[in-house]
Amino acid sequence: MIFGRLIDYLKVSAHQVARKRMRVFLTALGIAIGVAAVVGTVSLGEGVRYQAVEAIKEQSDLTLIEATADIRGGAIQFITPAKIDELAAIQHVEASSAVVREAYTTKRQTYLEVVGIDPGGIEGVIRPKFLRGGPLEPGSRQAVLGHDVAETLQRYEGVRFGDAVPILIRRYDADGMPVDEEVTFTLVGVLQERDDAFDQAMLVDRGVAQELRGDETAFDGVLIRVDHPEEVFGVVDDVKALGLTAKGAFQQIESVNQLMDVVVLILAFFAGVSLIVGVLMIVNTMVTSVFERTREIGITMAIGASPADVVYLILAECFYIGLIGGVLGNLLGVAFTGAINTFGKPFIIARLGDTFSTFAEGDITLITPEILAIGMAIAIVLSLVSGLYPALKAAHLNPVTAIRTGV
Amino acid sequence: METIIEAKHLNKAYNDRVTALMDVNLAIWKGEFVALLGRSGSGKSTLLNILGGLDAPTSGEIRIDGKNIDFSDRKALIALRRGSIGFIFQSFNLIPALTAQENVEYPLLFNYHDRAARRERAADLLATVGLADRAHHYPREMSGGEQQRVAIARALAGDPLIVLADEPTGNLDSKTRDEIFGLMRQVNRERETTFLIVTHERELGRRADRTIELLDGRVVS
Repeated sequence: MIFGRLIDYLKVSAHQVARKRMRVFLTALGIAIGVAAVVGTVSLGEGVRYQAVEAIKEQSDLTLIEATADIRGGAIQFITPAKIDELAAIQHVEASSAVVREAYTTKRQTYLEVVGIDPGGIEGVIRPKFLRGGPLEPGSRQAVLGHDVAETLQRYEGVRFGDAVPILIRRYDADGMPVDEEVTFTLVGVLQERDDAFDQAMLVDRGVAQELRGDETAFDGVLIRVDHPEEVFGVVDDVKALGLTAKGAFQQIESVNQLMDVVVLILAFFAGVSLIVGVLMIVNTMVTSVFERTREIGITMAIGASPADVVYLILAECFYIGLIGGVLGNLLGVAFTGAINTFGKPFIIARLGDTFSTFAEGDITLITPEILAIGMAIAIVLSLVSGLYPALKAAHLNPVTAIRTGV
Repeated sequence: METIIEAKHLNKAYNDRVTALMDVNLAIWKGEFVALLGRSGSGKSTLLNILGGLDAPTSGEIRIDGKNIDFSDRKALIALRRGSIGFIFQSFNLIPALTAQENVEYPLLFNYHDRAARRERAADLLATVGLADRAHHYPREMSGGEQQRVAIARALAGDPLIVLADEPTGNLDSKTRDEIFGLMRQVNRERETTFLIVTHERELGRRADRTIELLDGRVVS
């Protein structure tokens, strides 16, 4: 019933709008330029965000997360066997493996970031690709080196694949004095370059590392492999829900998103200033239109329209201005982003240099259905808001004077 | 006979100096065709506006179809205009953006009739006033006489008890004036709709059932 009446008001107003096509078009153009500016800048921001996130995804192992202990509400949430089981049970976790982390050094004091991991779990979570050699043999003092640390050790200490490497493990005696114990690990594998933390890591058997530490029950973290990049943030939320901290390449995406949220908001705000001009144009047009039709509005009320009916009729006209403004604004916005891609992109890439070479492949702007829907909504909502004052002005006309004195 | 409009001791003053109506008393029977005569400034339009619920009297009482009109109740006034009263104006005052058919449907929009009912009723009324073939013409494409016929159809759209017409033939040549007057009398007879017509032309008064004459805000005959 209500819906049917709105359709009726829209039909009557369509006639009014159709009579003043040029005026409506020019007014709608005012709001359209504002919408285009917002759509253009937001899509530029979203495009940069998309490219940056894609660059991170390409350069890093996004689906690998490490869950570590955290302090929640004053209590430390340790990695307990129960937590390990709970983590493994999270949806979209393809594989998980508890790890211990240690800091060893070589005899020449090269720092080694050690990850003690179950040899059976390496394949599932780390997905190692070996440059040389192969995986660890369970229970033995063997090590697999990340690409960068292997190169460093080879260059400065002459450590080669297959060597037995003397490693110092620092301990503290009864008096608190440091004592270094020497242990020998055989280098059985070297990983290919991964562009993540494992390039600097030494992988050893977790049992061996725990034994050397003298504590076989404590874990420092759990490595988790998520089955799909899209599911990473969901799994991160689940990990946090268990009271643990999640670390990984996804954090870079989080930082980019936080930064871009602010940037997009500020850009949109300044672009949105032009919407004020559009709003004023609509107010002006509708006030004029109401003034020109004073008598007509008086007649409308005399033959039975309530003030609310008059408000709806005027707002229905504003709805059309908003609709036309939204469509024009989105079209202009898309044209605007096209211009940015054609003329602005070479300039931006030249300024950014090689780091963001991925930008060169795709568009620097990104138009999503959401952006267009928001552009449309802005145009319609602002038009209706602009129409309120003229509509109320019309509804408050006295029918007798409006009919007698109206233009 | 049943009274349909009853006014008692109506006064209307716009300010201290301008008094439009002074102690107006009148009664109009159901189905009557009454001409309200008077020179310009005699208060006839004011009386018409008050009877139609568009304007409020300074004091006095009005009963329409037996019901007292409360001029402070805006909703009741709107309901009165929607359900009981039809207006015809001197300068036709059709909505220029709408066709004849749509102009006749227009009041029904505010009566919340459904679309099919509106269309059918408007088409019937346009046929009644002899303009079935002009339904899709805009006001600017029609002569003054045709426009006033559309306005009569529009006034009848809500099936009112009373039609109030303010100088309905004032903007027409004498031949068309006679046609429009004849049409209103015909509607009055066929539908038993009460007509109250403001005019300054005495000749038209002679063709009405009865005339009421106003002079300086008072009923003189």
